[in-house]
Amino acid sequence: MIRNTLVWLCSTTAIAAVMALPAHAQKKTTLVVGLDISDGRNYDTARSADLTPPLTHGAVYDGLLTLSADDLVNVKPALATAWTLVNNGTAWRFQLRPGVKFWNGDPMTAEDVKFSLDRLVNVKDQPATYASNMGAVTIVDPMTVEIAMKNPKEPLLLDLTAPSFAIYSAKLAKANGAVSEPGADQTDKATTWLNGNSAGTGPYRMVGWERNVSVTLQKNANYWGKPAEFERVVIRHIADGAAQLLAVRRGDVDIAMNLSAEQLDSLKGNADVSVIQGASTDTLYFCLTSNPEMNATLAKKEARQAVVSAIDYDGLIKGLVGGFADRPPNFLPAGIAGTTVEQTKEFGAKEDLAKAKALLAAAGVPNGFEFELIYPNAAYFSTSYQLMAQKIQSDVARVGIKMNLKPMDNVNWRAQFNGAKSQATIAPWNSPSPNPYLWTGASVQRVAVRMGWKPSQELLDLVSAGAAENDVAKQKAIYEKYQRILVDNANYITLMQPIYRVAVHKNIKDVKLTPNVWKMELAQIKPAS
Amino acid sequence: MFRYLVMRVAGMAVMALLATLVVFLIANQVPGDPVLAQLGDLAASDPNMVARYRARWGLDRPLWEQYWIFLRGIFNGDLGVSISTQRPVLDDIRQYAPATVELATISFFLSLIVGIPLGVLAAIRRDTWIDNFARFLSLAGVSSPTFWLAFIMLALFYGGLQIAPGPGRIDLSVISPPSVTGLFLIDAAIAGDWEAWRNAAGHLILPSIVLASGTLGLITRTTRASMLEAMTQDYVRVARAKGLTERKIVIGHLLPNALIPVVTLGGLAYAVLLTGAVMTETIFSWPGLGRYTFRSAVALDFPGIMGITLVVAVVYLVINLLTDLSYALLDPRVARERAE
Repeated sequence: MIRNTLVWLCSTTAIAAVMALPAHAQKKTTLVVGLDISDGRNYDTARSADLTPPLTHGAVYDGLLTLSADDLVNVKPALATAWTLVNNGTAWRFQLRPGVKFWNGDPMTAEDVKFSLDRLVNVKDQPATYASNMGAVTIVDPMTVEIAMKNPKEPLLLDLTAPSFAIYSAKLAKANGAVSEPGADQTDKATTWLNGNSAGTGPYRMVGWERNVSVTLQKNANYWGKPAEFERVVIRHIADGAAQLLAVRRGDVDIAMNLSAEQLDSLKGNADVSVIQGASTDTLYFCLTSNPEMNATLAKKEARQAVVSAIDYDGLIKGLVGGFADRPPNFLPAGIAGTTVEQTKEFGAKEDLAKAKALLAAAGVPNGFEFELIYPNAAYFSTSYQLMAQKIQSDVARVGIKMNLKPMDNVNWRAQFNGAKSQATIAPWNSPSPNPYLWTGASVQRVAVRMGWKPSQELLDLVSAGAAENDVAKQKAIYEKYQRILVDNANYITLMQPIYRVAVHKNIKDVKLTPNVWKMELAQIKPAS
Repeated sequence: MFRYLVMRVAGMAVMALLATLVVFLIANQVPGDPVLAQLGDLAASDPNMVARYRARWGLDRPLWEQYWIFLRGIFNGDLGVSISTQRPVLDDIRQYAPATVELATISFFLSLIVGIPLGVLAAIRRDTWIDNFARFLSLAGVSSPTFWLAFIMLALFYGGLQIAPGPGRIDLSVISPPSVTGLFLIDAAIAGDWEAWRNAAGHLILPSIVLASGTLGLITRTTRASMLEAMTQDYVRVARAKGLTERKIVIGHLLPNALIPVVTLGGLAYAVLLTGAVMTETIFSWPGLGRYTFRSAVALDFPGIMGITLVVAVVYLVINLLTDLSYALLDPRVARERAE
């Protein structure tokens, strides 16, 4: 038997060894990122709603405004250098940055801004929903534009930082079939071209996308800011985390982005590869219905609060994601509109089994009750929902609550959840920009409907007041009240806010992650020597 | 023979369409909603957006009409537009199929070239070390899970020994050959680009060994068993009695008879290799049909699913036909039967 094993090993080794394979010499002029890019359906900013294309968009396009990694509240200038409210506070007027050129050398003007933003609205694809508060875009002069707001009480500036609001060359886009006028949903034909090329002002330009193979970027010689450090960036599709780990260890990729907690831990002590981390605004939340037709006991607030008090939150984060997650007090993630993890300690959900038992008694079910949890047969940051569901199931069982698990495929799960047909579920949340209204609005509207819950007038007023408030301190106070009410209602419990970690080879330096949708500041990365 | 062929081809067309009908009906019974699978949370809550998507993909029409549109499309050489990639399904298949065909074909030949001689040797040297080795190899090949074997191979030869290239079809530093067939080995040979050829061939080694492992095991086992059975037949005894050499007995008498079940299995194995490479393609980041099929299925992408079903059905039917036809070459009795 041992002899056979040896013969087998030797023969397979020999087959591979026979092929003299070229060495994988890494040129310092090319940055290689290993990432599973199979989710990307297109790279047209007016149509893209997938997870990975924004990494490319962030490097090849600029918007009017942007956000730094450490401040998701105050917008920073990008293609606009100054902005003021005009027309009695119903529109924003932007002064454009002088001397900015597209990669082909054409100057960027107000016409390009109008074209790009009009096209976003008129192609009527998914990202158009992010622009629901954007009214008419008016050219004041070649270097000034005005953007009206449909509802001046809702914020607009933070939305403009999302890659969907990227500014591209009207001339280049039109030459390749782009249409910005009403009816563009029928007549626009630019997506095919925009899938392989960019038309922006960013530090790099896109020169190719081969589906499930790679995205290639090239340095933009006409960039208006500090020039990019690499001649070429290749975002290489490596679907499997284990294969990414091998590739980053060998230096075949400089950054590996889809490693699991265990794979990242295996890099401890590796001299060539380090692990860096950055906050996210993504969250994973658990929600419970208030609809008595779905579950009569859960419809009682005390019963829901009992479930909330029976969960071992720290154990969930430590045990299932290696401790690499924060926990905000409720629906709004930490970093958004002044929300902090300290607030969680002060008034967020806490594990307290004695309180859970008392609440069960108050709900009239001292011996516990039953409910059903649905969740997708999928993984969240390489931890399966199944594992999380089992952990919560065993936690609540300690006070006599029986949670029945019902896994289902992703499409079916989405249909049941969106159709308000679930008693309880675990769901991921991510947002195209850190506009707090994207969370707060949803929590009292569509997610509330799904959970059979009718928010009080007080809560609705707080959400409106928070959106309209421009003073950061006042806004924070309003949202704290809002979160306290959500905690008390116990329809939503945010389980975790993951911390991203990626592996970086010593070939490169200055890799910085950002909680914004583009995930990483590609343009700031430099060769190590 | 001609009449036989015409009947078979007509039958195949009906079978392929029936397969699409069955898959269409099953896919439509799944209680999910492809539009919700495609739209993000915000867009999915906007009724106008949902209605627009439904209309755009024809999902607002009655079932029979959706199937009729699909049928009409087939006769015009159009498989519709994939909901998940938003491109014509035919373009998707054209793009991803060559990678899979190249990998599956290499794996297929690897299984045959190693499997048949090993099976024959194992049978004629029964219970020697070579027989034990063949049995071990088939058992290991058939029973190792693909994802495990793929990762072990990658970790050993790419990560550890560093003698094999990593995931993908070709190195980043090597420019892909201009596409003629989409098969890198053939395209590189046409272009005379031997560096690309060597590189692409290097990238094929590990995934093709992993993909071939299962079929290699099956072919070795079947060849061995069928050789052993043939060796007990009277005609072998007669051949021996006539004083023929062992080599002549094996090549002239045993092999042609023993190979018939191997041909059936080989045909099926090729179809399995062509259509079942999801795990291998995932771990080796191979841009082939396997992953496309998987994504279409989980996204309930009806046009994608139907297009792939049609391709899979046609692959199986054509391979079955070729297998049946090859019997006539191997077994004169079959040829006589069909001629009658």
